Amino acid sequence: MVPLSWYLALSAVLFTIGVVGVLIQRNAIVLFMCIELMLNAVNLTLVAFSRFLGDVTGQLFVFMVMTVAAAEAAVGLAIIISLFRNRETLNVDEADLLKL
Amino acid sequence: MKAYVPILIVFIFVLGFAVTNIVLSHLVGKRKNTRAKLIPYECGMDPVGSAHQRFSVKFYLVAMLFILFDIEAVFLLPWAVVFRDLIQKLSRPFVFLEMMVFVAVLLVGYIYVWKKGLFEWNRS
Amino acid sequence: MQIENLNLNYGAVAPEIIAAVTGVISMLVDALSPKGARKTNAVISLVGLVLALLAVVRLEPSGSYFGGMVTTDPVRVFFSVIILLVAIIAVLLAGQFLRDEGLPPGEFFTLIMFATTGMLLLASAGDLVTVFLGLEIASITTYVMAGYRRYDVRANESSLKYFLLGSFSTAFMLYGMALTYGATGNTNIAAIRAIIGEGRVEHPALLLIGAAMMLVGFGFKIASAPFHLWTPDVYEGAPTIVTGFMGTGPKAAVFAAFLRVFADGFNVTASPIGAQLQSTWISAVAVIAVLTMTIGNVIAISQKNIKRMLAYSSIAHAGYALVGFVTGDFAPVAFYMLAYSIMSLGAFAVIQLLARAGDQKTEIADYAGIGFETPALSFSLAIFLLSLGGIPPTAGFMSKFFVFKTTWDAAPHYRWLVIAAVVNSIISIYYYLYPIVVMFFRPLAPGFIKPRIATMTTVALILTLVGTFYLGLLPNRLMNALGQGQKAVAIQPRLGDR
Repeated sequence: MVPLSWYLALSAVLFTIGVVGVLIQRNAIVLFMCIELMLNAVNLTLVAFSRFLGDVTGQLFVFMVMTVAAAEAAVGLAIIISLFRNRETLNVDEADLLKL
Repeated sequence: MKAYVPILIVFIFVLGFAVTNIVLSHLVGKRKNTRAKLIPYECGMDPVGSAHQRFSVKFYLVAMLFILFDIEAVFLLPWAVVFRDLIQKLSRPFVFLEMMVFVAVLLVGYIYVWKKGLFEWNRS
Repeated sequence: MQIENLNLNYGAVAPEIIAAVTGVISMLVDALSPKGARKTNAVISLVGLVLALLAVVRLEPSGSYFGGMVTTDPVRVFFSVIILLVAIIAVLLAGQFLRDEGLPPGEFFTLIMFATTGMLLLASAGDLVTVFLGLEIASITTYVMAGYRRYDVRANESSLKYFLLGSFSTAFMLYGMALTYGATGNTNIAAIRAIIGEGRVEHPALLLIGAAMMLVGFGFKIASAPFHLWTPDVYEGAPTIVTGFMGTGPKAAVFAAFLRVFADGFNVTASPIGAQLQSTWISAVAVIAVLTMTIGNVIAISQKNIKRMLAYSSIAHAGYALVGFVTGDFAPVAFYMLAYSIMSLGAFAVIQLLARAGDQKTEIADYAGIGFETPALSFSLAIFLLSLGGIPPTAGFMSKFFVFKTTWDAAPHYRWLVIAAVVNSIISIYYYLYPIVVMFFRPLAPGFIKPRIATMTTVALILTLVGTFYLGLLPNRLMNALGQGQKAVAIQPRLGDR
């Protein structure tokens, strides 16, 4: 059987890819996809732990995460659409009316 | 192998349903070919032309709604799987009503979206 | 988890159910009435919130329900009351806001109700799963509320930034939860506490990393430094009433969950890993608290826009509340959040009125000379600002005093934290006084129109004013109630005897 540490390493790598993507990407949709990648990396961790602990709670948690991710996707898309309707751009660098 | 018999039955039903529908519509339905109907089906897009055209934002709205109403299967399926075990331990109407409440909430969402006119493609 | 002992008790989640059902009803009313139902929905929401408040008061004092997903303890009861008060004031203010701005009226109340459901769930969460769910219900609705003025690009940007950074932080928190689950084999906070106490942690490193990532997640949500960068932009761009709402309600709810996970779940010193975890997170929170209040206060001084100023002030206040964490006790934090919520909402209510439709007048310079033109508003704002600055006899003074005094007594190792907080409070008085000086001692700016104040808004203002003075002058009853709650809950000061 594939050992637990492999799953954890894979999900850590996926999570990191997501984090780096959020930090360097400039397109709102791509940013959003990176966040989804982070969530799915967490799902992998949860399922792996659930399997190796022989405990179903982790999988239950994954259901909740998936639902929330779907709701987040819908709201995120709606927000991005309304920004696009007003600005005609998806580049987050151009969303700069509010400066620090 | 006996365990796979129900799956076989499902396959037969699915196949039968599809074939019946196609055959029936072929036999009963009237046919009126227009130019738009004869071009290859491409999910509503024009099949010929530049691939770099913009999609209408309405597709995103439909996609959003799809995600929201699609995800509920994640909860319906495990509930259906453990239903028999659950009614041994909790009362049958309770287990059933729990899921009905969930479906009712979804229905409210559906009514809301409908009344707000999100299903009307040609909304201004 | 056995099905037989789930302890399904719908009375224990009555407040959440009432809030959710009210939200659904107002949603249907809005969808089925062609013109939109501002007044109907305002009334429905108010009735729902008051019923939920009654349900909170009638909760059994303690217990664990739904397989440990929901717990009732003084933390839950107290924070639920704060959340519902915030929601009631927000509903009272929403009517005039929606009419003045000509925004679609019905959905706003639905969003407030759903956000309230999420916040209540967060305050009652006894399991990491419920913490996550409550947090997300509350967050997702506030993302939408931030962008409610959807033709305004500033609101869009505010909403987008809030959404992206909010979900980013959620992912961190979630990863932390997953690692904690892996290390302890449990998601129930009480069970995690027991497992850490017995030292039965499989992978101690995972637990420490998990706790650190959760700390980052909570840090983002309560806008503490160095995770505060989203706050000023989001607070400035969102409609003022939404800013007031999301700076108080969700923040208080997150503090409740933060307290339950850290000050309860991770607060055991019985085993080596528990002691290590506890000392690590408490020192981390202490450092974050100092950073948060210092950065908040110092940057607030140079702000020209009153909403940005209050955003930084809200960062600083999160820092003061975090000071209470080192006592390991919930009472000072709870009292602080109550006082902060009331005075901050009051301030944002006045700013909303003065700003006019579309938030045009939010620069401090716009307030020049209005002091005696609209005395009711300007004196109220002055009182709220002084209270935020911590001047007696207001709620702000009493809450700061309570937090600092408790920390000074209970955690001798962290007296430096109290000193830093007091120094910060003194610095902060400067920028709270500045708008007051501008209002009363500068010549009137041209083009000032006296704002119209609706009845509901007046009620909200009176409520916040009375609250500010009540907590400042007669806090004893509440503090005694909190003191009794303290004995009933597992959270006890543990640092003093270290």
